[in-house]
Amino acid sequence: MTPCTVTTGFFTLGKCGVMAVAGCPACGRALCANHVTEGGLCPECAAARNQVGHPAAAAAYRRRAHRHRTAQEYSDAGWYVGFDSYDRAAFDPGAGADQDYLDDGADALVDS
Amino acid sequence: MSEGHRAAYVAFDRFPSAKGSAVHIRHMAAELFERHGGGLLCVLGGGDLPAYQREGDVEIVRFTDVVPNLLDRAQAFTAWVAEQLAPHRDTLELCHVRDPWSALPVTGPMVYEANGLPSVELPYAWPMVAPSTLDKIRELEQDCLRRAAAVVVPSSVIGKAVIDRGAAPDRVHLIPNGADPVPASLPRPEAAPGRYLIYVGALQPWQGVDVLLRAFARLADLTDLHLVVCSSVSPNRARPLRRLAERLGLGDRVRWQYTLPHEQVAAWLAHAELSVAPLTAGPRNLEQGCNPIKVWESMAAGTPVVASDLPVIREVLGDDGRFVPPDRPAELARAIRVMLEYPDVTHEFAGRARRRVLTWSDVRHRLAAVYDQVESR
Ligand SMILES: [Zn+2]
Ligand SMILES: [Zn+2]
Repeated sequence: MTPCTVTTGFFTLGKCGVMAVAGCPACGRALCANHVTEGGLCPECAAARNQVGHPAAAAAYRRRAHRHRTAQEYSDAGWYVGFDSYDRAAFDPGAGADQDYLDDGADALVDS
Repeated sequence: MSEGHRAAYVAFDRFPSAKGSAVHIRHMAAELFERHGGGLLCVLGGGDLPAYQREGDVEIVRFTDVVPNLLDRAQAFTAWVAEQLAPHRDTLELCHVRDPWSALPVTGPMVYEANGLPSVELPYAWPMVAPSTLDKIRELEQDCLRRAAAVVVPSSVIGKAVIDRGAAPDRVHLIPNGADPVPASLPRPEAAPGRYLIYVGALQPWQGVDVLLRAFARLADLTDLHLVVCSSVSPNRARPLRRLAERLGLGDRVRWQYTLPHEQVAAWLAHAELSVAPLTAGPRNLEQGCNPIKVWESMAAGTPVVASDLPVIREVLGDDGRFVPPDRPAELARAIRVMLEYPDVTHEFAGRARRRVLTWSDVRHRLAAVYDQVESR
């Protein structure tokens, strides 16, 4: 049997492992019946093509997105306009306190 | 299938991971999703983490863009979160966030969980950052904290910091960390040395692991005693500390463990003689406060704690541990020696400390009460 290789779990992740019934046409991974999405793709490939989520919500969003793009409601609303290139330079990869602290990215910031 | 999610949890943090923050996210998000029939979790990805998962009624989306500059990355994340939330805009009743980058795009009712403040923490990792830049970041924080329907803090030290930043005092709720009780029967880890002190956590300078190494060097006469450093971060980031350990001649008396799964850490803690929390006295720990999950977990494991005398640790440990002045290796070494010499007294402390620990289910009840308040408004 070929096991399904979709990653599952919330805090502890693992491979699904249920018997595969198909392969994802985009990435080739083995998929069980549960993890084949409507279009035949794996969940990740489907998500990358905007084919998952609640269909009604997605459709409503497409309608709104059209309206709002002109209204600029979802552009980044000026949240970061206050930062200039001088502010940004301090956060270039080479500007960190110690390269050893940066290897696993931004999640190294607020932790315990 | 319903129209859209009623709740979203957003964090500029990788999830899951070996860090204490991930345990926190796990329990807080579980409470949020349980009471809203599922929800949307927006977090950082990377490594082998899938960009998309659906687990029952919960959808997990992970930000995977590689953006080298941190501020650009935060900005890209904010824009990405706005896009993720947009399809659920008509159904979202509550968003729970952990940082300003996540809070900015939230338009509806928001619970802001402040475990740290970037305007305080960033200069440690990014020493070139100018005060004027930090002021701008502080303004972003203020904006988000003022808008929040509730602000949840793990200690009153950080509670004061968020009120200083404009959070309404009656909307600030103290919810300490939790730790589930560790069963007494947990087997000793195979790699564990006979008698050992333990440090659990990340390795940033403010954690004071260098102070602990220097203190341990003064205990060279206790030849059967080891120090185990259970790092929540990768070996790369331990390099400066390992070099220090070498210079101090500690050799294999220090054992390094990296990114152990959470359940294994409990076993290492439970079998240690003492757990050390050597936090430094910088503004990060004094003004902003911190989130000493390691102290809670040591208490839950029944392991005696010796810690830096900081308000944020006093708040957790009460009188049920031993305190030493921060940044003083000689004093820390002396305290460790005394505790090892009087194990009865030390374990009496630990027993009392254990009974004070909140379980995660206690923590979730307190969070539920905050959600109730927000949703009844
Ligand atoms: Zn695929
Ligand atoms: Zn599967």
